[in-house]
Amino acid sequence: MSSCGPHEAHCITCGDVGVEMRVVRFEDGLAVCEAAGEERTVEVTLVDVAEGDTVLVHADVALVRL
Amino acid sequence: MKFVDEFRDGELGRAVAAQILDVVEPGRHYKVMEVCGGHTHSIYRYGVDDLLPENVELVHGPGCPVCVIPMGRVDDGIAIARQPGVIFTCFGDMLRVPGSAGTLLDAKAEGADVRMVYSPLDALRIARAEPDRQVVFFAIGFETTAPSTALTLMRARAEGLENFSCMCNHVTIVPPLRALLESPDLRLDGFIGPGHVSTVVGARPFEFIPADYGRPVVIAGFEPLDILHAIHMILVQLRDGRCEVENQYTRVVPYDGNPAALRAMSEVFALRPHFEWRGLGFISQSALRLSDAFADFDAERRYAVPGVRVADPKACQCGEVLKGVIKPWECKVFGTACTPEHAIGTCMVSPEGACAAYYNYGRFARDRVLS
Repeated sequence: MSSCGPHEAHCITCGDVGVEMRVVRFEDGLAVCEAAGEERTVEVTLVDVAEGDTVLVHADVALVRL
Repeated sequence: MKFVDEFRDGELGRAVAAQILDVVEPGRHYKVMEVCGGHTHSIYRYGVDDLLPENVELVHGPGCPVCVIPMGRVDDGIAIARQPGVIFTCFGDMLRVPGSAGTLLDAKAEGADVRMVYSPLDALRIARAEPDRQVVFFAIGFETTAPSTALTLMRARAEGLENFSCMCNHVTIVPPLRALLESPDLRLDGFIGPGHVSTVVGARPFEFIPADYGRPVVIAGFEPLDILHAIHMILVQLRDGRCEVENQYTRVVPYDGNPAALRAMSEVFALRPHFEWRGLGFISQSALRLSDAFADFDAERRYAVPGVRVADPKACQCGEVLKGVIKPWECKVFGTACTPEHAIGTCMVSPEGACAAYYNYGRFARDRVLS
């Protein structure tokens, strides 16, 4: 996942940028999602998802199931 | 990678560029605004504008949330960060945005506990782990990011967390677009609509642009072929004398957005009567505050902040850049006094900012492949 440095790619959290991530498992009402070998814990209450689905994630919230 | 490789195919890109060349009328100059900073970044990262005919000009819009934060709000954030016992959290780009007397990073160097987070949920985790400290999250972003703040505050309330609050700077995309369309400085022929904002709000809120101002809008994805395709769709509308909202990014954006996200936002936020945008001035009903139901989590109610309006540095022309009136390299301090390492203006701070995109990808003037 890219960082916020001046010479890096998009800032994933600040801009209008979503990252496609795969749902790996569910934990405590949140979903652990993976992209490019990195895992993030993601809020999935706004979409219907199951393990293995691909979601568009922005600021640790899944906005769309792809 | 699915949805990525096929949208970066150079051969397909050249084919779409040739179709664009077929559609444009010789002698007519087209000005198309990409609203979103993510699009600006992709255009210069992939050299999309090199593939466009000379008479198709891309104008960079105000859709970088860091770039539109005025200096006074940064000062207010720093004032909270300096309060004893406060852990001040924000996204990485925000740390380097200059206020009237330095950045949040400077405040951190002087002893304030300022921490970078990737999401509001990260800030909430800090609050849980440090119950004796007050954790404040500096919320910025358009409707893409606002649901994340909303869901985090709903979670904080459900958990009864009393040491978490939010300084809300969320902004909305439609009012600045209307302000730009009303601006006499700028004549635009069409808009590349913001892709990920539209996953939340849908395409419907942009219908006023063709209805009231007679300009086409095409909501687009962020890969180079998405952007070229969207430009082609806008030019076809102009050639055919049509004017409507079209969705190029159907693989991601539903026409009606995400109703659950909109419901969460309407519960947690209320519209501010007006909000100052860097370079654009005060725009009515263009930003969000916490609703009365979430007043206990509002950092601006918990802490005294200066709330003073600060004029932008005279040398900085971010305002004109944000309105698309000048190109970044036309600013007097671009690449000299103002660089990503020592930014004077916000457009140079965020990678989504037009100035940073030009600077990082060496776009000091336009060289064309096609003409």
